[in-house]
Amino acid sequence: MQRRVFLTGLLAALPVTGAWAEDRASRAAAFIEAQGKALVAVLDSDTPLPEKRAEVARLLREAVDVRGVGQFVLGRHWRTASEAQRGQFLELFEETLVRNLSARFGELQGVTFEVGRAQPRGEDGVSVATTVNRPSQPPVMLDWLVSEASGRPLIVDLIAEGTSLRITQRSEYSAVIQRGGGRLDVLLDAMRRQLAQLEARELASN
Amino acid sequence: MHPTALRLVALLATGLAAGCATVPPESEPEARAEYFETNDPLEPLNRVTYAVNDAFDIMLLRPAAEAYRLFLPQPVRSGIGNVIDNLLLPKTAAHQLLQGKPEMAGKAIARFVVNSTVGILGVFDFATDLGLEPQYEDMGQTLAVWAGTTNGGPYIVLPLLGPSNLRDVFGRSIDIATDPWDYIGQGDTVRALRITRTATQVIDTREQLIEPIDELRQRLDPYAALRSVYQQQRARDILDESPPRRRFFDWRFRPE
Repeated sequence: MQRRVFLTGLLAALPVTGAWAEDRASRAAAFIEAQGKALVAVLDSDTPLPEKRAEVARLLREAVDVRGVGQFVLGRHWRTASEAQRGQFLELFEETLVRNLSARFGELQGVTFEVGRAQPRGEDGVSVATTVNRPSQPPVMLDWLVSEASGRPLIVDLIAEGTSLRITQRSEYSAVIQRGGGRLDVLLDAMRRQLAQLEARELASN
Repeated sequence: MHPTALRLVALLATGLAAGCATVPPESEPEARAEYFETNDPLEPLNRVTYAVNDAFDIMLLRPAAEAYRLFLPQPVRSGIGNVIDNLLLPKTAAHQLLQGKPEMAGKAIARFVVNSTVGILGVFDFATDLGLEPQYEDMGQTLAVWAGTTNGGPYIVLPLLGPSNLRDVFGRSIDIATDPWDYIGQGDTVRALRITRTATQVIDTREQLIEPIDELRQRLDPYAALRSVYQQQRARDILDESPPRRRFFDWRFRPE
Protein backbone atom coordinates (compact mmCIF):
# COMPACT_ATOMS: atom_id res chain seq x y z
CA MET A 1 0.00 0.00 0.00
CA GLN A 2 2.81 2.31 0.94
CA ARG A 3 4.51 1.59 -2.34
CA ARG A 4 1.42 2.55 -4.27
CA VAL A 5 1.22 5.85 -2.46
CA PHE A 6 4.87 6.40 -3.22
CA LEU A 7 4.39 5.56 -6.90
CA THR A 8 1.40 7.83 -7.16
CA GLY A 9 3.47 10.60 -5.64
CA LEU A 10 6.21 9.92 -8.12
CA LEU A 11 3.70 9.95 -10.94
CA ALA A 12 2.42 13.37 -9.94
CA ALA A 13 5.95 14.71 -9.79
CA LEU A 14 6.83 13.55 -13.29
CA PRO A 15 6.21 15.50 -16.47
CA VAL A 16 3.21 14.32 -18.45
CA THR A 17 5.35 12.59 -21.11
CA GLY A 18 6.74 10.18 -18.57
CA ALA A 19 3.32 9.30 -17.22
CA TRP A 20 2.55 6.52 -19.68
CA ALA A 21 5.85 4.69 -19.11
CA GLU A 22 5.38 5.13 -15.37
CA ASP A 23 1.94 3.63 -15.66
CA ARG A 24 3.32 0.62 -17.49
CA ALA A 25 6.01 0.24 -14.83
CA SER A 26 3.56 0.36 -11.92
CA ARG A 27 1.31 -2.16 -13.69
CA ALA A 28 4.27 -4.53 -14.05
CA ALA A 29 5.21 -4.07 -10.39
CA ALA A 30 1.64 -4.74 -9.26
CA PHE A 31 1.55 -7.83 -11.47
CA ILE A 32 4.74 -9.24 -9.92
CA GLU A 33 3.46 -8.44 -6.43
CA ALA A 34 0.21 -10.31 -7.07
CA GLN A 35 1.81 -13.32 -8.76
CA GLY A 36 4.49 -13.53 -6.08
CA LYS A 37 1.91 -13.48 -3.31
CA ALA A 38 -0.08 -16.23 -5.01
CA LEU A 39 3.06 -18.36 -5.39
CA VAL A 40 4.16 -17.86 -1.78
CA ALA A 41 0.67 -18.80 -0.61
CA VAL A 42 0.89 -22.09 -2.52
CA LEU A 43 4.43 -22.78 -1.30
CA ASP A 44 3.46 -22.25 2.33
CA SER A 45 0.27 -24.28 2.14
CA ASP A 46 0.01 -27.81 3.53
CA THR A 47 -1.40 -29.37 0.36
CA PRO A 48 0.22 -32.67 -0.70
CA LEU A 49 3.10 -32.49 -3.15
CA PRO A 50 1.38 -33.52 -6.43
CA GLU A 51 -1.42 -30.99 -5.91
CA LYS A 52 1.08 -28.34 -4.91
CA ARG A 53 3.02 -28.97 -8.09
CA ALA A 54 -0.12 -28.80 -10.20
CA GLU A 55 -1.04 -25.53 -8.52
CA VAL A 56 2.42 -24.07 -9.18
CA ALA A 57 2.21 -25.22 -12.81
CA ARG A 58 -1.10 -23.40 -13.16
CA LEU A 59 0.35 -20.20 -11.69
CA LEU A 60 3.37 -20.49 -13.94
CA ARG A 61 1.26 -20.85 -17.07
CA GLU A 62 -0.71 -17.81 -16.00
CA ALA A 63 2.30 -15.62 -15.22
CA VAL A 64 5.00 -16.69 -17.67
CA ASP A 65 4.99 -16.35 -21.44
CA VAL A 66 6.15 -19.95 -21.79
CA ARG A 67 5.77 -20.00 -25.56
CA GLY A 68 7.61 -16.71 -26.02
CA VAL A 69 10.44 -17.67 -23.69
CA GLY A 70 10.67 -21.14 -25.24
CA GLN A 71 10.89 -19.62 -28.69
CA PHE A 72 13.62 -17.22 -27.56
CA VAL A 73 15.54 -19.98 -25.84
CA LEU A 74 15.48 -22.23 -28.90
CA GLY A 75 16.65 -19.30 -31.04
CA ARG A 76 17.52 -20.14 -34.62
CA HIS A 77 16.57 -23.78 -34.07
CA TRP A 78 12.92 -22.81 -33.58
CA ARG A 79 12.48 -21.98 -37.24
CA THR A 80 13.94 -25.23 -38.50
CA ALA A 81 11.98 -27.34 -35.99
CA SER A 82 8.95 -29.28 -37.15
CA GLU A 83 5.55 -28.50 -35.64
CA ALA A 84 5.72 -31.74 -33.61
CA GLN A 85 9.20 -30.89 -32.30
CA ARG A 86 8.07 -27.42 -31.29
CA GLY A 87 5.15 -28.88 -29.39
CA GLN A 88 7.35 -31.43 -27.64
CA PHE A 89 9.93 -28.80 -26.82
CA LEU A 90 7.42 -26.39 -25.28
CA GLU A 91 5.92 -29.19 -23.23
CA LEU A 92 9.34 -30.29 -21.94
CA PHE A 93 10.41 -26.71 -21.34
CA GLU A 94 7.35 -25.92 -19.25
CA GLU A 95 7.74 -29.16 -17.32
CA THR A 96 11.40 -28.25 -16.66
CA LEU A 97 10.38 -24.86 -15.27
CA VAL A 98 7.81 -26.46 -12.96
CA ARG A 99 10.09 -29.28 -11.82
CA ASN A 100 12.92 -26.85 -11.13
CA LEU A 101 10.61 -25.17 -8.65
CA SER A 102 8.98 -28.29 -7.21
CA ALA A 103 12.37 -29.94 -6.57
CA ARG A 104 12.99 -26.98 -4.24
CA PHE A 105 9.67 -26.85 -2.40
CA GLY A 106 11.48 -27.78 0.81
CA GLU A 107 13.98 -24.92 0.58
CA LEU A 108 11.27 -22.49 -0.49
CA GLN A 109 9.18 -22.88 2.66
CA GLY A 110 8.80 -19.57 4.45
CA VAL A 111 10.22 -17.30 1.77
CA THR A 112 9.12 -13.69 1.73
CA PHE A 113 9.74 -11.08 -0.94
CA GLU A 114 9.70 -7.35 -1.44
CA VAL A 115 9.02 -5.64 -4.73
CA GLY A 116 11.49 -2.87 -5.47
CA ARG A 117 11.98 -0.53 -8.38
CA ALA A 118 10.27 -1.07 -11.72
CA GLN A 119 12.18 0.28 -14.70
CA PRO A 120 11.07 0.36 -18.34
CA ARG A 121 13.52 -1.54 -20.57
CA GLY A 122 12.36 -0.31 -23.96
CA GLU A 123 10.75 -2.91 -26.19
CA ASP A 124 11.80 -5.75 -23.89
CA GLY A 125 9.26 -4.64 -21.31
CA VAL A 126 9.61 -3.52 -17.70
CA SER A 127 12.16 -4.87 -15.29
CA VAL A 128 10.79 -5.31 -11.77
CA ALA A 129 13.33 -5.75 -8.99
CA THR A 130 12.52 -8.06 -6.09
CA THR A 131 14.44 -9.12 -3.01
CA VAL A 132 13.69 -12.65 -1.88
CA ASN A 133 14.37 -13.50 1.75
CA ARG A 134 14.71 -17.05 3.01
CA PRO A 135 14.92 -17.83 6.72
CA SER A 136 18.55 -17.35 7.94
CA GLN A 137 19.93 -17.20 4.41
CA PRO A 138 21.38 -14.29 2.48
CA PRO A 139 18.70 -12.42 0.50
CA VAL A 140 18.58 -13.05 -3.25
CA MET A 141 18.00 -10.31 -5.82
CA LEU A 142 15.71 -11.34 -8.63
CA ASP A 143 14.71 -9.02 -11.48
CA TRP A 144 11.64 -9.97 -13.49
CA LEU A 145 11.25 -8.81 -17.05
CA VAL A 146 7.54 -8.22 -17.69
CA SER A 147 6.25 -7.71 -21.21
CA GLU A 148 2.80 -6.64 -22.33
CA ALA A 149 3.42 -7.65 -25.94
CA SER A 150 0.65 -10.25 -25.73
CA GLY A 151 -1.88 -7.72 -24.45
CA ARG A 152 -1.53 -8.57 -20.75
CA PRO A 153 1.55 -8.53 -18.50
CA LEU A 154 3.58 -11.74 -18.69
CA ILE A 155 7.03 -12.67 -17.38
CA VAL A 156 9.51 -13.10 -20.22
CA ASP A 157 12.81 -13.34 -18.31
CA LEU A 158 14.24 -13.74 -14.84
CA ILE A 159 17.53 -12.05 -14.04
CA ALA A 160 19.02 -13.80 -11.02
CA GLU A 161 21.91 -11.88 -9.47
CA GLY A 162 22.66 -10.26 -12.80
CA THR A 163 22.37 -13.35 -14.97
CA SER A 164 19.56 -13.59 -17.49
CA LEU A 165 18.02 -17.02 -17.33
CA ARG A 166 16.78 -17.02 -20.91
CA ILE A 167 20.12 -15.95 -22.35
CA THR A 168 22.00 -18.59 -20.33
CA GLN A 169 19.44 -21.21 -21.26
CA ARG A 170 19.63 -20.35 -24.95
CA SER A 171 23.39 -20.60 -24.90
CA GLU A 172 23.23 -23.96 -23.17
CA TYR A 173 20.54 -25.50 -25.37
CA SER A 174 22.32 -24.30 -28.48
CA ALA A 175 25.53 -26.00 -27.29
CA VAL A 176 23.66 -29.25 -26.66
CA ILE A 177 22.15 -29.18 -30.16
CA GLN A 178 25.44 -28.30 -31.77
CA ARG A 179 27.30 -31.07 -29.99
CA GLY A 180 24.53 -33.44 -30.98
CA GLY A 181 25.35 -32.80 -34.64
CA GLY A 182 22.77 -30.02 -35.04
CA ARG A 183 19.83 -32.29 -34.21
CA LEU A 184 17.04 -30.91 -32.06
CA ASP A 185 16.03 -34.41 -30.99
CA VAL A 186 19.28 -34.71 -29.06
CA LEU A 187 18.21 -31.74 -26.94
CA LEU A 188 14.72 -33.15 -26.44
CA ASP A 189 16.20 -36.45 -25.22
CA ALA A 190 18.59 -34.64 -22.90
CA MET A 191 15.68 -32.61 -21.48
CA ARG A 192 13.72 -35.81 -20.83
CA ARG A 193 16.68 -37.29 -18.95
CA GLN A 194 17.06 -34.09 -16.95
CA LEU A 195 13.39 -34.18 -16.01
CA ALA A 196 13.78 -37.74 -14.75
CA GLN A 197 16.67 -36.57 -12.57
CA LEU A 198 14.70 -33.64 -11.21
CA GLU A 199 11.85 -35.99 -10.41
CA ALA A 200 14.19 -38.27 -8.47
CA ARG A 201 15.56 -35.27 -6.61
CA GLU A 202 12.06 -34.11 -5.78
CA LEU A 203 11.18 -37.48 -4.29
CA ALA A 204 14.38 -37.48 -2.26
CA SER A 205 14.06 -33.98 -0.82
CA ASN A 206 10.35 -33.59 -0.13
CA MET B 1 65.95 -26.57 -38.18
CA HIS B 2 66.64 -29.88 -36.50
CA PRO B 3 64.30 -32.62 -37.84
CA THR B 4 62.96 -33.51 -34.40
CA ALA B 5 62.22 -29.87 -33.65
CA LEU B 6 60.50 -29.55 -37.01
CA ARG B 7 58.37 -32.58 -36.29
CA LEU B 8 57.46 -31.11 -32.92
CA VAL B 9 56.40 -27.82 -34.50
CA ALA B 10 54.29 -29.66 -37.05
CA LEU B 11 52.70 -31.71 -34.29
CA LEU B 12 51.95 -28.59 -32.24
CA ALA B 13 50.44 -26.87 -35.25
CA THR B 14 48.05 -29.73 -36.01
CA GLY B 15 47.24 -30.00 -32.31
CA LEU B 16 46.30 -26.33 -32.19
CA ALA B 17 44.25 -26.61 -35.36
CA ALA B 18 42.40 -29.61 -33.91
CA GLY B 19 41.81 -27.58 -30.76
CA CYS B 20 39.91 -24.91 -32.66
CA ALA B 21 36.22 -24.87 -33.45
CA THR B 22 35.44 -24.40 -37.16
CA VAL B 23 33.72 -21.21 -38.31
CA PRO B 24 30.34 -21.97 -39.93
CA PRO B 25 30.25 -21.18 -43.68
CA GLU B 26 28.83 -17.93 -45.13
CA SER B 27 25.76 -19.85 -46.28
CA GLU B 28 24.63 -20.14 -42.66
CA PRO B 29 24.50 -16.55 -41.43
CA GLU B 30 22.63 -17.38 -38.20
CA ALA B 31 25.06 -20.10 -37.18
CA ARG B 32 27.86 -17.68 -38.00
CA ALA B 33 26.34 -14.92 -35.88
CA GLU B 34 25.99 -17.35 -33.00
CA TYR B 35 29.59 -18.47 -33.42
CA PHE B 36 30.87 -14.92 -33.09
CA GLU B 37 28.52 -14.11 -30.23
CA THR B 38 29.65 -17.17 -28.26
CA ASN B 39 33.20 -16.11 -29.02
CA ASP B 40 34.79 -19.41 -28.11
CA PRO B 41 37.12 -20.47 -30.94
CA LEU B 42 39.18 -22.55 -28.50
CA GLU B 43 36.13 -24.50 -27.30
CA PRO B 44 37.54 -28.04 -27.73
CA LEU B 45 40.65 -27.12 -25.75
CA ASN B 46 38.65 -25.11 -23.21
CA ARG B 47 36.34 -28.05 -22.57
CA VAL B 48 39.34 -30.22 -21.70
CA THR B 49 40.68 -27.60 -19.28
CA TYR B 50 37.20 -27.27 -17.83
CA ALA B 51 36.97 -31.01 -17.21
CA VAL B 52 40.36 -31.04 -15.47
CA ASN B 53 39.39 -28.02 -13.33
CA ASP B 54 36.10 -29.69 -12.49
CA ALA B 55 37.81 -32.86 -11.27
CA PHE B 56 40.29 -30.81 -9.24
CA ASP B 57 37.42 -28.86 -7.73
CA ILE B 58 35.46 -31.95 -6.75
CA MET B 59 38.52 -33.57 -5.18
CA LEU B 60 40.04 -30.61 -3.39
CA LEU B 61 38.41 -27.20 -3.59
CA ARG B 62 34.80 -28.04 -2.87
CA PRO B 63 35.63 -30.26 0.13
CA ALA B 64 37.86 -27.49 1.49
CA ALA B 65 35.04 -24.98 1.08
CA GLU B 66 32.61 -27.39 2.76
CA ALA B 67 34.98 -27.80 5.70
CA TYR B 68 35.38 -24.03 5.96
CA ARG B 69 31.61 -23.64 6.11
CA LEU B 70 31.25 -26.49 8.59
CA PHE B 71 33.89 -25.35 11.07
CA LEU B 72 33.42 -21.59 11.02
CA PRO B 73 30.05 -20.09 11.95
CA GLN B 74 28.48 -17.79 9.40
CA PRO B 75 29.20 -14.45 11.18
CA VAL B 76 32.89 -15.39 11.48
CA ARG B 77 33.03 -16.22 7.78
CA SER B 78 31.37 -12.90 6.95
CA GLY B 79 33.97 -11.10 9.07
CA ILE B 80 36.82 -12.89 7.31
CA GLY B 81 35.24 -12.19 3.95
CA ASN B 82 34.88 -8.51 4.86
CA VAL B 83 38.62 -8.34 5.63
CA ILE B 84 39.41 -9.89 2.24
CA ASP B 85 37.05 -7.46 0.45
CA ASN B 86 38.48 -4.51 2.35
CA LEU B 87 42.01 -5.32 1.18
CA LEU B 88 40.78 -5.08 -2.44
CA LEU B 89 39.53 -1.50 -2.05
CA PRO B 90 42.81 0.35 -2.80
CA LYS B 91 43.06 -1.55 -6.09
CA THR B 92 39.41 -0.75 -6.82
CA ALA B 93 40.02 2.95 -6.16
CA ALA B 94 43.06 2.97 -8.48
CA HIS B 95 40.99 1.43 -11.28
CA GLN B 96 38.18 3.90 -10.72
CA LEU B 97 40.68 6.70 -11.24
CA LEU B 98 41.97 4.98 -14.39
CA GLN B 99 38.39 4.70 -15.63
CA GLY B 100 37.76 8.40 -14.96
CA LYS B 101 35.42 7.95 -11.99
CA PRO B 102 37.09 10.06 -9.29
CA GLU B 103 33.96 10.38 -7.09
CA MET B 104 33.66 6.59 -7.00
CA ALA B 105 37.35 6.32 -6.17
CA GLY B 106 36.84 8.79 -3.31
CA LYS B 107 34.01 6.65 -1.97
CA ALA B 108 36.11 3.49 -2.22
CA ILE B 109 38.93 5.16 -0.26
CA ALA B 110 36.48 6.51 2.33
CA ARG B 111 35.01 3.03 2.66
CA PHE B 112 38.49 1.58 3.11
CA VAL B 113 39.36 4.14 5.80
CA VAL B 114 36.09 3.66 7.73
CA ASN B 115 36.12 -0.14 7.66
CA SER B 116 39.85 -0.40 8.41
CA THR B 117 39.50 1.76 11.52
CA VAL B 118 35.97 1.73 12.95
CA GLY B 119 35.41 -1.67 11.35
CA ILE B 120 38.54 -3.08 13.03
CA LEU B 121 40.83 -3.99 10.11
CA GLY B 122 37.86 -4.53 7.86
CA VAL B 123 36.04 -7.18 9.92
CA PHE B 124 32.86 -5.10 10.23
CA ASP B 125 31.29 -3.28 7.33
CA PHE B 126 30.04 -0.08 8.93
CA ALA B 127 30.75 1.94 5.79
CA THR B 128 27.61 0.57 4.10
CA ASP B 129 25.54 2.14 6.88
CA LEU B 130 27.13 5.48 5.94
CA GLY B 131 26.14 5.02 2.31
CA LEU B 132 29.60 3.86 1.22
CA GLU B 133 28.55 0.69 -0.50
CA PRO B 134 30.70 -2.28 -1.56
CA GLN B 135 32.32 -1.95 -4.96
CA TYR B 136 34.87 -3.83 -6.98
CA GLU B 137 36.96 -2.99 -10.03
CA ASP B 138 39.89 -4.69 -11.70
CA MET B 139 42.22 -4.25 -14.68
CA GLY B 140 39.98 -6.32 -16.95
CA GLN B 141 37.13 -3.86 -16.34
CA THR B 142 39.46 -0.89 -16.87
CA LEU B 143 40.68 -2.32 -20.17
CA ALA B 144 37.07 -2.82 -21.23
CA VAL B 145 36.22 0.81 -20.38
CA TRP B 146 39.25 2.01 -22.33
CA ALA B 147 38.37 -0.19 -25.30
CA GLY B 148 34.76 0.98 -25.11
CA THR B 149 33.36 -2.54 -25.40
CA THR B 150 32.26 -5.34 -23.07
CA ASN B 151 33.56 -7.84 -25.63
CA GLY B 152 36.65 -9.35 -24.02
CA GLY B 153 37.80 -11.40 -26.98
CA PRO B 154 37.93 -15.18 -27.16
CA TYR B 155 36.72 -17.08 -24.10
CA ILE B 156 39.53 -18.87 -22.30
CA VAL B 157 39.30 -21.41 -19.49
CA LEU B 158 42.43 -21.09 -17.40
CA PRO B 159 43.87 -24.05 -15.55
CA LEU B 160 42.80 -23.81 -11.87
CA LEU B 161 41.54 -20.21 -12.25
CA GLY B 162 38.59 -21.06 -14.49
CA PRO B 163 36.57 -18.82 -16.86
CA SER B 164 38.30 -15.85 -18.46
CA ASN B 165 38.89 -14.26 -21.84
CA LEU B 166 41.77 -12.65 -23.67
CA ARG B 167 41.19 -9.25 -22.06
CA ASP B 168 40.77 -10.62 -18.55
CA VAL B 169 43.84 -12.86 -18.79
CA PHE B 170 45.84 -9.76 -19.64
CA GLY B 171 44.13 -7.68 -16.95
CA ARG B 172 44.55 -10.33 -14.33
CA SER B 173 48.29 -10.64 -14.89
CA ILE B 174 48.66 -6.87 -14.54
CA ASP B 175 46.62 -6.92 -11.33
CA ILE B 176 48.72 -9.72 -9.89
CA ALA B 177 51.95 -7.93 -10.79
CA THR B 178 50.81 -4.60 -9.33
CA ASP B 179 48.99 -5.66 -6.15
CA PRO B 180 49.60 -2.72 -3.78
CA TRP B 181 49.93 -5.04 -0.77
CA ASP B 182 52.95 -6.69 -2.40
CA TYR B 183 54.90 -3.47 -2.03
CA ILE B 184 54.49 -3.15 1.71
CA GLY B 185 56.61 -5.00 4.24
CA GLN B 186 59.02 -7.85 3.87
CA GLY B 187 60.29 -10.90 5.69
CA ASP B 188 58.83 -14.29 6.49
CA THR B 189 55.84 -13.01 8.46
CA VAL B 190 54.70 -10.76 5.63
CA ARG B 191 55.20 -13.59 3.15
CA ALA B 192 53.15 -15.92 5.32
CA LEU B 193 50.41 -13.30 5.60
CA ARG B 194 50.31 -12.93 1.82
CA ILE B 195 49.95 -16.66 1.30
CA THR B 196 47.26 -16.83 3.98
CA ARG B 197 45.38 -14.01 2.30
CA THR B 198 45.43 -15.69 -1.12
CA ALA B 199 44.39 -19.06 0.30
CA THR B 200 41.59 -17.50 2.35
CA GLN B 201 40.38 -15.57 -0.68
CA VAL B 202 40.17 -18.78 -2.73
CA ILE B 203 38.32 -20.72 -0.01
CA ASP B 204 35.99 -17.79 0.78
CA THR B 205 35.07 -17.39 -2.89
CA ARG B 206 34.52 -21.11 -3.32
CA GLU B 207 32.40 -21.29 -0.16
CA GLN B 208 30.06 -18.63 -1.53
CA LEU B 209 29.76 -20.58 -4.76
CA ILE B 210 28.92 -24.00 -3.27
CA GLU B 211 25.21 -23.89 -4.17
CA PRO B 212 25.53 -22.07 -7.53
CA ILE B 213 28.17 -24.52 -8.77
CA ASP B 214 26.22 -27.52 -7.48
CA GLU B 215 23.26 -26.22 -9.48
CA LEU B 216 25.46 -25.66 -12.49
CA ARG B 217 26.62 -29.28 -12.43
CA GLN B 218 23.00 -30.46 -12.71
CA ARG B 219 22.58 -28.66 -16.01
CA LEU B 220 22.54 -30.18 -19.47
CA ASP B 221 25.76 -28.48 -20.49
CA PRO B 222 27.50 -26.90 -17.48
CA TYR B 223 30.38 -25.68 -19.63
CA ALA B 224 28.14 -23.69 -21.99
CA ALA B 225 26.03 -22.34 -19.12
CA LEU B 226 29.09 -21.15 -17.18
CA ARG B 227 30.51 -19.49 -20.28
CA SER B 228 27.30 -17.53 -20.74
CA VAL B 229 27.11 -16.61 -17.05
CA TYR B 230 30.72 -15.42 -17.05
CA GLN B 231 30.20 -13.24 -20.12
CA GLN B 232 27.01 -11.72 -18.70
CA GLN B 233 28.49 -11.07 -15.27
CA ARG B 234 31.59 -9.39 -16.65
CA ALA B 235 29.49 -7.17 -18.89
CA ARG B 236 27.45 -6.07 -15.89
CA ASP B 237 30.56 -5.45 -13.79
CA ILE B 238 32.10 -3.34 -16.55
CA LEU B 239 28.94 -1.25 -16.94
CA ASP B 240 28.68 -0.93 -13.13
CA GLU B 241 25.23 -2.49 -13.24
CA SER B 242 25.85 -5.09 -10.54
CA PRO B 243 23.98 -4.08 -7.40
CA PRO B 244 26.32 -3.63 -4.41
CA ARG B 245 26.20 -6.66 -2.17
CA ARG B 246 26.79 -6.39 1.52
CA ARG B 247 27.92 -9.59 3.17
CA PHE B 248 25.17 -11.36 5.05
CA PHE B 249 25.41 -11.02 8.82
CA ASP B 250 22.90 -13.04 10.80
CA TRP B 251 23.21 -12.35 14.49
CA ARG B 252 20.43 -14.73 15.42
CA PHE B 253 22.93 -17.46 16.21
CA ARG B 254 23.26 -15.74 19.60
CA PRO B 255 20.88 -16.85 22.33
CA GLU B 256 18.18 -14.22 22.78
